[in-house]
Amino acid sequence: MQKRNKYTEIEDFLSDESFQSWILFKIDEDGWEEWTLESRQRAKLVEDARLLLLAIKAPETNLSSSDLHNALQTTWIKIEEKENQNNLIQDSKVKFLRKKIFSSVAAAIVIGLISIWFYQNQVGPESKVVTYKELIDENNEGLVEQTNNSNKPQIITLSDGSSVLLQPNSKLSYPKIFTGNERKVYLSGEGFFEISKNPKKPFFVYANEIVTKVVGTSFRVKAYSDQPDVEVLVRTGKVRVKSNELVSSSNQEEVILLPNQALRFLRSDLSFNKITNITEDETLTRNVGNIEQLSFEFTDIPVAQIFETIEQAYLVDIDYPKDKLKDCHLTTSLSDQPLTEKLKIVCNSIGNNTSFQMNGNQIIITSQGCN
Amino acid sequence: MKTKTLQFKTFDDITLWNNLKDGDEKSFSILFEKYYADLVNYGNSLSSYTEKVQDCVQDVFTDIWVYRNGLQSSVVVKAYLLSSVRKRIARLYERDHIFRKSTSTDAIAFLLEFAVEHDLIDDDYATREKVVHLNKLLNDLPPRQKEALYLRYHQGLTVEQIADMLDVNYQSASNLLHRGLLTLRKEWKGSISLIVVLSSIVC
Repeated sequence: MQKRNKYTEIEDFLSDESFQSWILFKIDEDGWEEWTLESRQRAKLVEDARLLLLAIKAPETNLSSSDLHNALQTTWIKIEEKENQNNLIQDSKVKFLRKKIFSSVAAAIVIGLISIWFYQNQVGPESKVVTYKELIDENNEGLVEQTNNSNKPQIITLSDGSSVLLQPNSKLSYPKIFTGNERKVYLSGEGFFEISKNPKKPFFVYANEIVTKVVGTSFRVKAYSDQPDVEVLVRTGKVRVKSNELVSSSNQEEVILLPNQALRFLRSDLSFNKITNITEDETLTRNVGNIEQLSFEFTDIPVAQIFETIEQAYLVDIDYPKDKLKDCHLTTSLSDQPLTEKLKIVCNSIGNNTSFQMNGNQIIITSQGCN
Repeated sequence: MKTKTLQFKTFDDITLWNNLKDGDEKSFSILFEKYYADLVNYGNSLSSYTEKVQDCVQDVFTDIWVYRNGLQSSVVVKAYLLSSVRKRIARLYERDHIFRKSTSTDAIAFLLEFAVEHDLIDDDYATREKVVHLNKLLNDLPPRQKEALYLRYHQGLTVEQIADMLDVNYQSASNLLHRGLLTLRKEWKGSISLIVVLSSIVC
């Protein structure tokens, strides 16, 4: 107990456990009371420390022992639920996911493998397989259809600023202008979606039997005709997937996917399998596209390099004044932004006199140099 | 320097913790009962949704049990629990504000109001007055400073543990504490002499 003789500050006392227990629990094992009285100056310091320690007290909510008991019971129930859920996932048979709220979507990348319209022919007309064509017929918004018959991905910009990188042999139907409270598009084939954020207007991708809902994010949906299942993979954020009402009106199964979780929808029995570790699933890892491997986090990076990254990701050509921008460096985060948003951010960061124009795969940047 | 009770307490925690890791339900329940109320109190200082706070605290314990195999064996149990509750509430906030990007816990404000515990102050009227006055000064501090003081002197965490929890380095955490106390003392010095004079007149 020699240490306390050197105490000169209130802090010294406050952090002394023995002092604390004297003040707060009235356990004076080290003779504080006596020690305090040895010097007047010391007594003053001790008094200040005592008052402060008493003041840094928070009101306690008093839980009765039955409250506590109930809380513990609830926790054991939660544990049981979670363990069951984990087991189910391990069995990779998730028939029923009782996730409470779909509150928000921050950002997501989804890969889905969707087998498509040819499949109908294999299963027969009486089965409940939903096709791209049926889905389109349901919609009366006056859709535009874009088909990519080339051997390179094609960029489509939607009316809300969202972008879709449509893969070869794929088609996308979408309204020229999104009206109403929902944004709906229809996919057959494969596409990488980057959705502009708008929580008031959720974005739906209809792909055969499943509907993927996001509020604003990026994701990829891929569909091949010879595969009997649908897969959805989330990279970041959260996505909600459910089966289309056309398939099941009664039991609305709904699965919420978190980052690096995937979902496989078996068309034959309309069941969802949740995959919690995508790295263990070869099909999924093999299908990771270019854009998902590129990082859009830039720290003091030359603008030219940023443009190059964008070119690689979206397979576009960017034309910009190389001389004027050769000394420009940017620090920016472009992840989770649609293409147009990325370009807007880059242009704004370079300077007020910078703008871009988009024409199919061609992007032209006009600039007078950076600030 | 440490009292026996405090030593016993920490020893006990770590024993319970390791038993829990080995799958002992009894130890889990003891730790739960020991810390639940305190964690709920702390949680309530970060969020005004009492029900969600209880939910969060229960979820923290749920995860501890479900993922007990992955738990570290040398932790200060109390610091670990407080920190987990803080993170979970921050996550809750993140989810509620749809597109808040950062997962940092900076965003959550410390709402707690310090208050006198009457049974602790069986002293004279003057002491109580002073403590009430100090309460007020404490409550006027910036939330971060307040929280640091609360964690340091109410929950008894070390500066390192606080730095960890608030996601700042050691120096910043220690600055938070220091600045908080400095302000208090300055404000207090001005007013305390007055109280002393007053009380001496009364006597």
